Amino acid sequence: MFKKILIANRGEIAVRVMRGCRELGISTVGIYSDADRGSLHVQTADQAVSVGPAPAVESYLNMDRILQAARDTGAEAIHPGYGFLAENAEFVARCEDAGIVFIGPNSQAMALVGDKVRSRQTMEKAGIPIIPGMKGTLPDAESYSREADKIGYPVMIKASAGGGGKGMRIVRAQEELVAALEAGKREAKAAFGDESVYLEKYIEEPRHVEFQVLADNQGRTVHLFERECSIQRRHQKIVEETPSPALDADLQVEMGKTACRVMEVAGYNNAGTVEFLLDGRKNFYFLEVNARLQVEHPVTELVTGMDLVHQQIRLAAGEDLRLEQGTIVQKGHAIECRIYAEDPHNNFLPSSGRVLFLKEPAGPGIRHDGGIFTGCEVPIFYDPILAKLIVWAEDRERACRRMRKALDDYVILGIKTGIDFLKDVIDHPSFRRGETTTNFIPRFFSAWAGPEQSEEIRDLALLTAAYQSTRRSRPDSAAGSSRPDPVTPWSSLGKWRIGGK
Amino acid sequence: MDHEFVIDGARFTLAWEAEDDELLVVSIGDKILRANVCEISPSVYSVLVGDRAFAVFCACDRGIYHVFCNGQHFELAEPDDDSDGFLTGEGRTAADDLLIKAPMPGKVIKINVTEGEEVHRNQTLAIVEAMKMENEIKSALDGVVRKIHASPGELVDNFTPLIELARKE
Repeated sequence: MFKKILIANRGEIAVRVMRGCRELGISTVGIYSDADRGSLHVQTADQAVSVGPAPAVESYLNMDRILQAARDTGAEAIHPGYGFLAENAEFVARCEDAGIVFIGPNSQAMALVGDKVRSRQTMEKAGIPIIPGMKGTLPDAESYSREADKIGYPVMIKASAGGGGKGMRIVRAQEELVAALEAGKREAKAAFGDESVYLEKYIEEPRHVEFQVLADNQGRTVHLFERECSIQRRHQKIVEETPSPALDADLQVEMGKTACRVMEVAGYNNAGTVEFLLDGRKNFYFLEVNARLQVEHPVTELVTGMDLVHQQIRLAAGEDLRLEQGTIVQKGHAIECRIYAEDPHNNFLPSSGRVLFLKEPAGPGIRHDGGIFTGCEVPIFYDPILAKLIVWAEDRERACRRMRKALDDYVILGIKTGIDFLKDVIDHPSFRRGETTTNFIPRFFSAWAGPEQSEEIRDLALLTAAYQSTRRSRPDSAAGSSRPDPVTPWSSLGKWRIGGK
Repeated sequence: MDHEFVIDGARFTLAWEAEDDELLVVSIGDKILRANVCEISPSVYSVLVGDRAFAVFCACDRGIYHVFCNGQHFELAEPDDDSDGFLTGEGRTAADDLLIKAPMPGKVIKINVTEGEEVHRNQTLAIVEAMKMENEIKSALDGVVRKIHASPGELVDNFTPLIELARKE
């Protein structure tokens, strides 16, 4: 087993992976950009190495600096988290050349599944169902236009190198195509360092159902069931759950087998996710492989009782998969809500700045994977995900209620988040009935006006703000409070001074 | 002692009526509110109204009080800081339509227009990127580009002027 792992990421996922390492007795090396010196993942790591200026291309995407950091610290393996270099085949190959274990698939499998075009051709040949109309990247706008005509509008522009909605655009008519291509390429370049995009037929009203697969270096595979990720805004998942309300036992078995087969065809090892689109008639189409630990991996952990980071590390260290498909069971229901720094009242524009106060929900069946703390700065340079709130309960209805209450208890001041929006999603009757398609948000929430606010609570807000303002302005209360503070030790310390004698 | 706050463009005046160790009495408009307020830590308050208990979280930053209670958020602005109508949420004004500002901190990716160019309503004027997502800045009216204040690659803050428009004669 490894003694030291470098985590080539930031934010909540870096913190979560470090936790997994430490539980296995492995020490951790964090990396940070100039914008992240004070970030939680730096505080969490055993060692931390600066890898460059704030823009990701100069730091978290800087392969030379990251590999150097691994060599300098003696890290035997690199965990890439998600995003940044997590699905970059060149980086995987460079790790292999440097004799550093990349915790993820081998470079050939990565190159295959990372090339969404080639991977679909390979899967089609192997008899895996794929979406109609898939073709390669093309040299110029005219060729894309001809291709789009052939597939038939609406078409979707997608980045060849990644997911997460970056570089993705739906085009409903020919006159929108050129501008959408341009924007998609720029976003793809900025997010993944690769501007290639491709087109595919856009299927209306689908569900997004993915299967978590584990594969060892000897080619054995098992799946850990599905995650339903249909609740998306602008192609960005915001709510995920497992089990999917759309699968029956037969369909689950069939899709699970297909997912394992996809990974076997790809020569894949380590943890990965096979994404499918599922239409209303239970047809499913292979979309792509996410060759990384997914943002939404905790829901799978909560229903299977398995730690995916531990599994990844063990498999990367060359251990055999010691799981039998028949013995893996789903227990209860898990839901995740992504907490993004965004303003739902202002077109979901990103919200950066300082978190003035944070109190995350806690209690039975509640898990919070976060990268934030009271006083932290949320920089403008990176993905706006702040944290993930995950709940587990015996069944879906109880999980919904638990999530709703947990969202109510989530206190974050100073940064705007989508929490109010998520509450209304969880409360929506269609969501409660499990009618989750990727059109859910545009259909029900395009005219979302925000929560109703109660006059009584508003008055309490006024009173508390006035109370705070009064206490702060009194000259005799240097600490901002005229009462002794009951919970901090400072009031019992007596007189003291920083630097005093 | 009076306090004034602006919430979503509406002005509220709160007057201190009485205060002792047990009870704080304030009036908000013609309402009287009696509450027992206990500061737990600098941002956390336990407020009792009769026997009903509320946890209220409050933090102030640059003249804005961010308050959370029972799942609801409020932003209370001190009215003196209200210089351009933005902070108090008084909505868009005619001046806002003419002076296009960055809607959030980010990086200018592209300026799609040139000075003197005629633009129409909903035309994309500029693209600003933050947190890896591109946001198109659109014109709210038909007009002419009077002046361009920002250039591609520039890092901009909230409300940094990007483009100035003139109304079409």
